[in-house]
Amino acid sequence: MEPSEKIQMALDVLEKKLSRQAVTSLAVCVHCGMCTDACHYYVATQDPKMAPAYKADHVRKLFKRHFDWMARIAPGWVGGRSLKSQEDLDTLKDVLFGSCTMCRRCTLNCPMGVDKALLIRIGRAMLMTIGEMPQGVIDVNEAQWTTGNQMSVTDEDYLETIEWLSEEHQMDVGDSRVALPLDQQGASVVYVVNPREVKYAPLTLLSAAKIFHVAREDWTMPTKGWDGTNFGLFSGDDALGAEMGKRMFNQVRELGGKRLVVSECGHGFRATRWEAPNWAKEDLEFPIESMLETMCRYLDEGRIKLDKSVNTDLVTYHDPCNLGRSSGITEEPRRLIRESCAHFIEMQPNRADNWCCSGGGGAMSMAEYTGRRLEVAKVKADQLRATGAKVVATACHNCVDALSDLIKHYGLNMRVTTVGELVADALVFERPPVVTEIEAPQGKGERVLVVDDEPDFVLYLSTLLEDNGYVVDSATSVDAAMAKLRESKPDVITLDVIMPGQSGLQMYEELRSTEEFREIPIVVISGLNPQEAPDSDHRQFIYERRFAPPPDGFLDKPVDQKLLMSTLRKVMA
Amino acid sequence: MPREGEAEMERFLDVLKDEVQIVALSVMALVYIIRIRWLMARTLASERTPPIGDATRAARRSLFAVAMPWTIESMTKHWATYVEFVVFHIGIAVTIAATFVIPYAPGLFESQAILVATQVIIAAAFVVGVIRLGRRCMRQDLRLMSSPDDYFSLVLLDLYLISAFFAVPNDNQWALIAFFGLTTFFLLYVPFSKISHYIYYPFARVYFGRHFGRRGVYPKVRGN
Repeated sequence: MEPSEKIQMALDVLEKKLSRQAVTSLAVCVHCGMCTDACHYYVATQDPKMAPAYKADHVRKLFKRHFDWMARIAPGWVGGRSLKSQEDLDTLKDVLFGSCTMCRRCTLNCPMGVDKALLIRIGRAMLMTIGEMPQGVIDVNEAQWTTGNQMSVTDEDYLETIEWLSEEHQMDVGDSRVALPLDQQGASVVYVVNPREVKYAPLTLLSAAKIFHVAREDWTMPTKGWDGTNFGLFSGDDALGAEMGKRMFNQVRELGGKRLVVSECGHGFRATRWEAPNWAKEDLEFPIESMLETMCRYLDEGRIKLDKSVNTDLVTYHDPCNLGRSSGITEEPRRLIRESCAHFIEMQPNRADNWCCSGGGGAMSMAEYTGRRLEVAKVKADQLRATGAKVVATACHNCVDALSDLIKHYGLNMRVTTVGELVADALVFERPPVVTEIEAPQGKGERVLVVDDEPDFVLYLSTLLEDNGYVVDSATSVDAAMAKLRESKPDVITLDVIMPGQSGLQMYEELRSTEEFREIPIVVISGLNPQEAPDSDHRQFIYERRFAPPPDGFLDKPVDQKLLMSTLRKVMA
Repeated sequence: MPREGEAEMERFLDVLKDEVQIVALSVMALVYIIRIRWLMARTLASERTPPIGDATRAARRSLFAVAMPWTIESMTKHWATYVEFVVFHIGIAVTIAATFVIPYAPGLFESQAILVATQVIIAAAFVVGVIRLGRRCMRQDLRLMSSPDDYFSLVLLDLYLISAFFAVPNDNQWALIAFFGLTTFFLLYVPFSKISHYIYYPFARVYFGRHFGRRGVYPKVRGN
């Protein structure tokens, strides 16, 4: 398509999006600059091009040039300007996708009430229509359309994972009769999750299962429409937003569920609870709750009791933007943390004034902006450092990812966890287990090929795996790893990303495209610091189609042993 | 000046202060009515989800947020800018009031106290206007986002304020001609410039309040 055709299509989209609220936000800005230092992009870089009003002006000037009948009298005089070339489209993409997480901190700090995030999203919708988006966003958008979930988890994978997690859940609660319920009719709670939990962070799903178990909740997960995330919110695709919502809503109806509960996912909850019913034009007959609200309800009803002495580290709480600034959820997580942790410290500022983690708005899927994302995360890093906390809890998986990255990047001595995991750890089991300790199964001599260029890490991992019943081969380079593979095929490969010579990314692509090795499960274990490799973002594995299928497991260094062992059990199952 | 010339000037000034202002005001009002109708013809995006906050109360509060600087972080952080905003807008309001007082209630400015107070307010607003212009020229982010209208509006307002300062004593024909000439120009120009932000302000704040209020985000929950 010629740039001029694309531009016209984009302008057609803009015209359709000009609601009264949008026009007001476009017309009322006085360029006072009060929003400038409310934005972490500006504060971290001091780049005037990161001022929110300037960024929003990229959409505003199109409005003034083409649709504002008063501004059109002399558009240049009032800042109206059209798009003219592919270069203009590229600039627009960089501003709308690469320079804003739509966190709305600027909106709350605007004396006029300009909703800049709304304008940025309108701009994204324009670019989405003409396919001008970062590759990760394109791929995830398509994945949700075609597979129903953002990580292209197949039905088979999902069911196998739930089955495996049921075994883990039995060990967790000491009861061999329990399982993660699927498609139970008439359940009180229909629980939807972030695919990241199914794929890479099963411990959070296990925590939720444990909480439901102790609360004796009548709950179920659906086999369809289980993805609680919604990339339509990030890409500006209202149709996708509506479709993702409808899939969940219809499942609740088909199952006769009483209430839809969304796991700890900021944008997922916001999109499901506040946006999708509008996009889909549906008035729902059942309530939608965040898992945070559900856990608070259990405390109110006395269905769960917590022992805060279990969590003794100093904990702080990061407010996900989509919960704190778009969904009014600020006090529930704080209550849960205060009741499940011995020591809690607020970061400053907090609640609706908290700083963005830098990973929102789909930023975690945009590999080309990783360097910038980490640069602007300095604001958050400074905020975390000032608390002196050892643990930062949050209620959003995007935030977990972003905070994990910035903690590594800025060398902070702390870890990230979800609120649910803290609550699950602090649960007081009042009824004794029916069956005593179910032991975690050990490896049965399965062969693991450890590929990593750090000899110390190889030694550590090899020892850990051998102690747990696995046979280990190792290689410190891709060439050595490929040679070992040709000698004997392992049952699973653990793969580092950055290595001298060929990278883990390249090896991954090669393995997935070679028939002989395609089916070998691969668990990526990466301590990647993008400063060392600015062109590599390990999340490309997860979000970009060229690496499909995505890794079977994904772990950050330093490795959580429990997560590693449960991941290996899962991929071997 | 010959008596005939003086009388002509008087008549010209009377027409400028009265009929011309009424015509210019009517044109402005007409443009604003068309503008508001154009805005209201746009679809109001509706919300179907059950609220958790009081949207009406939040909208009311949002409307007066500008008078509660402690509720917005940017206004507390930049309190000096906020004070400038207050001084500037009070000065503009007083100047606009003067366009009615001079022709229709000139006796008010015969009180020395009122006259001096008015001039002090206008002078303070002028000083703030110059500071604002300087800031717009000096700050990189403001320069980047500013259009010719942003600068021109400020220059115009500063000229308007200085002309008002000399006009309110109501004893200098040229000062009055300049003041009411600028007023006429303003009434015709403002609807097409960013100065007309005040007409959108109530809409923007109400929409903000309703949207964030029903979600329980606004008024903001304060905590430790």
